[in-house]
Amino acid sequence: MQVQLLRIDSRLLHGQVTTSWAKAFRLDRILVVDDAAAHDPLRQVLLQQAAPVGIPVNVLTVDQARRLVDDSRLASTKVMIITATPESARLLIEAGFAVESVNVGSLSFSAGRQMVTNAVAVDATDVAAFRWMHARGIQLDLRQVARDSSRDLWRILSEKHLV
Amino acid sequence: MPTRRERVWQYVTDHLGEYPDGITTTTIAAALGIARPNVSKELNDLVRTGKLAKTRTRPVRYMTAAQVAHRADHQDIVQVQDNNEGTILTRHRKGQRNPLGGFDRMIGRDTSLKNQIEQAKAALLYPPHGLNVLLTGPTGVGKTFFATAMNQFAAANQLITTPQLTVLNCADYAHTPEGVMRRLFGSVDGQEAGLLQAADGGMLLLNEAHRLPPAAQEMLFYFMEHGTYSRVGEQQREQQAAVRIICATTEPPESTQLQEFVRRIPITIQIPGFNQRTMRERLQLLQTLLTIEANRIDRNIRVDEDVVKALIGGISFGNVAQLKSAVQLVCAQAFLDGMDEQGDEIAVTFDKLPQEIQAGMSRIANDRNALTELTRLVDATMVVHPDGTTGAESQDSYELPYNLYEIIGHKAAVLKEEGLDQEAINNFIKTDINVHMKTYYREADLEQRNDRSLQDLVDQEFIDLTRKIKQHLEPQVDYSLGNNFVYAMSLHLSLFAKRVQTGKSLRTVSSNLIAMVKENRQELQLARQVKQLLEEHFHFPVPRSEVYYLAALLISLKEDSRTGTVGVVVAAHGSSTASSMVQVVRQLLDVNNVVAFDMGLDMSPTTAFTGITRAVQQVDQGNGVLLLVDMGSLATFSRKLTTETGIEVRTINMVTTAMVLEAARKTALVGADLDTIYGELREFHGYFRGNDESGRPLMKKMQAVVDATDTRPRALLSICSSGEGTAKKIKRLLEEQLAAQGVQDVDVLPVSVVGLQDELATITTKYNVLGATGVVKPSLDRPFISLEDLLQGGAAQFIAQVTQDDHQLPAQHTAINQSPKLTMGVLQEYLTKYFTFINADKLTPVLWEYCQQYTAPLVLDNTQRMSIIMHLAGAIERTLTASPLTIDQPTLATSQKDQAAIWDQVHRATTWLEERVNVRLAPAEEYYIVQLLAEQYQLK
Repeated sequence: MQVQLLRIDSRLLHGQVTTSWAKAFRLDRILVVDDAAAHDPLRQVLLQQAAPVGIPVNVLTVDQARRLVDDSRLASTKVMIITATPESARLLIEAGFAVESVNVGSLSFSAGRQMVTNAVAVDATDVAAFRWMHARGIQLDLRQVARDSSRDLWRILSEKHLV
Repeated sequence: MPTRRERVWQYVTDHLGEYPDGITTTTIAAALGIARPNVSKELNDLVRTGKLAKTRTRPVRYMTAAQVAHRADHQDIVQVQDNNEGTILTRHRKGQRNPLGGFDRMIGRDTSLKNQIEQAKAALLYPPHGLNVLLTGPTGVGKTFFATAMNQFAAANQLITTPQLTVLNCADYAHTPEGVMRRLFGSVDGQEAGLLQAADGGMLLLNEAHRLPPAAQEMLFYFMEHGTYSRVGEQQREQQAAVRIICATTEPPESTQLQEFVRRIPITIQIPGFNQRTMRERLQLLQTLLTIEANRIDRNIRVDEDVVKALIGGISFGNVAQLKSAVQLVCAQAFLDGMDEQGDEIAVTFDKLPQEIQAGMSRIANDRNALTELTRLVDATMVVHPDGTTGAESQDSYELPYNLYEIIGHKAAVLKEEGLDQEAINNFIKTDINVHMKTYYREADLEQRNDRSLQDLVDQEFIDLTRKIKQHLEPQVDYSLGNNFVYAMSLHLSLFAKRVQTGKSLRTVSSNLIAMVKENRQELQLARQVKQLLEEHFHFPVPRSEVYYLAALLISLKEDSRTGTVGVVVAAHGSSTASSMVQVVRQLLDVNNVVAFDMGLDMSPTTAFTGITRAVQQVDQGNGVLLLVDMGSLATFSRKLTTETGIEVRTINMVTTAMVLEAARKTALVGADLDTIYGELREFHGYFRGNDESGRPLMKKMQAVVDATDTRPRALLSICSSGEGTAKKIKRLLEEQLAAQGVQDVDVLPVSVVGLQDELATITTKYNVLGATGVVKPSLDRPFISLEDLLQGGAAQFIAQVTQDDHQLPAQHTAINQSPKLTMGVLQEYLTKYFTFINADKLTPVLWEYCQQYTAPLVLDNTQRMSIIMHLAGAIERTLTASPLTIDQPTLATSQKDQAAIWDQVHRATTWLEERVNVRLAPAEEYYIVQLLAEQYQLK
């Protein structure tokens, strides 16, 4: 599998935001990796619908996705992987999905989370996952669409004294 | 700035002195620089309002009333006079009535509609007040048109005192019983007078009368008998009205829904479908419809013989209305193509027709008699002239609510100003025109979509070549070459071409293959023709060995086309028990393989058996029939039925509506075979019992247990004629899908159709075969998916189905999409959950309305709407947090230029939205909304 982009976005696939990424790479497939979505048929339908025209979407659990790392059947398939949480992304990287950077779109705010930018709110688990990635030299690329300018999430986290 | 009409009127009054014989459209168009058809439209409107008169002779000249008086030939002039009762069109020449209007000029009055007209006249003239009429006929045959003619006849013979026809479309009110009662009978509070009152002294047409709610039906029937009724909120039935009622419906008279109507209404008139009319009538109808268009654009329309054949041959379920739509479409396109040319004629040629209309040609070519007759009647070219009078009926619901030609002219002008070249303009407008025609060509639409996914696999060249081959072969075979043919053949050809390129065009031919082909002389002969076509196309010799493979492919496809679905017969005691169950199912699911057999309580077993036998034969498509019965005694029939008819029959006892529904649903699935369905249905206990909400029967679960203990490796079969080409291509596709769904340990085995049976025997001992796909359905008790469905995106569903995975996503897609559950409530819930800064309670209704109001002409389904709303919510949140998306200036500028129309649409919508929620969206955000809509347009 050729991972063109690994993205973290708590809204997973939504509208043109994701489509803009799909257009930037010539994708064969989008894998949405999220345990909750994989068990929610309604969300799956919405995810399919939000996908760019002609690009198939599969919604997988983290475990299912981890098993696909060396699957020869997908050897030449160009994919974009989207996870809802940094931890899911971390698990995938740990399983052997090699990436140099992780794109962070949005992380929704909820109780117990801290806003670090308008689009990103983190908790301790998220920070731990980001720290793990940083330790392995993985860039944390914060931006919504491909054409936005990139911001370094690690620096923002440092400035806020979260790491 | 003066309006266009004012400019035209100004010019005419200024210059009429120079043209004592009247002024022509061309002169004005040239002088004012306005497109000819638009000038013509304004002139005709001026004629209609009485300001101008025009000649009947061509070219049409326009003049004022004063000029008319000086002319000797004033009988040849159309002039409108004002009188106290409003504007009435006076026609000086006799017999110029619309041939579509009134009985005396109605097409088919002496042939197909002779009886119907006599029936209608008899009903109207019946003393003392005439009889009510039930008018039946399939959609688009002209029921409203016929009712209008009845009304004209009644008015002309002074049978009624209120000359205009009152019309109610009952389907509009099917879900508001209260609303229809008020509309029809009026209310005591005086807010509604009621249509019965309005129609007093005249006639009332109730369209789709069977959709009237029961309470309204009851009141209507009471009124028919007694002449009195009550308004809503009234106890006594004391209101009176003298109204002749025509109930029109698309239901066949034998339908259970119509029984009460048939019983209460003495006269039933059936209007025949388009294809039941004589060929001469069909041609006359076409000519008249073309004349209407010729009048609209005020030009001659020249039509090739082949176009006539294609138009007439292409008409199926939609009847005259479908023909009308097709005529409008082809005229609009021809008008567009000829817009820059001067002259007073547009030409409709076969090669310019949309493919789905061209297809009508091959359909009529299959019917020798029809083709011969039509060829005899029609000339090589037919030219239709505007006659200035034939117009569309004003009450025609199939009529476009706008002037298509005017819109084309206007749009073209706008786009031209934007600097688009002619080709781009034409493409843009053609898309518009196509939107209109989709109503009648959903099927064709599907076909186009197929092509798109097929294009991912093979070059367009091969698809085109295949279509050519299809056209060539189709008249020679007595079975239909469906989409599956296009898929299988174009794949085959592309791989063949690849082999030739790599110098491996020769293939060995096994003795098995030769034996198989030898038994099918016809296919061998057809394969030779294909060989010849290929040689003409590629300009190199096709090896003889290839002929055998082609023949094998054709044989497979032939078998495939003959395997249908399992039929279902519902037999139950009682005069309508079975048919009402079937009725419900037919309403819910669009199926045609389910029939009912009602068994009166006094019916003898022998009669019942004969009846059921006939029903079984009727629904059998070669895959056996499921017999659902209500009592044990019927259950003994199946063996006897099989012996007598040779059709496999399985019987299930204790039928319920839910079971019929489940049977219909299962038989509609791909690759469902009789015994599997039988097994599953026996375990079916309704949709609501237990916690198994999906309705997945126990049987399947047991199967899963069996599968789990099965140690054989699991496999899917991919079948093509050689087992080498298409099959391997499909293998890759399936494997990728399997992997992406997280399915491990399923092999995909490419198999050849040659010696398929023996191969199956070997494979099934080694493998646990989960399902199959390919050019032919193997005789295997396992799910099968056609190539067509597979490539159209059915792969995901198919694999989910056969691997019993939890990801039954696409299967649920349709269900969820149509589910009323996916409403504002759900949406609100999602917005609350995934957005931080927006107030979902307040925003949801606004965005919902946005979708209702501002996405036309797109027709959105639930999920598409949801998807747009989610995006908009994101856009608003980003704006609120001052972190909008960005886009570089050149891309933005290009999009604003190339997608001007969508920008326009989005901008209007955004302005509306900005007012509602008081935020200002950045151009970049608008850009992404434009892209989102552009994608939806592309999808349509």
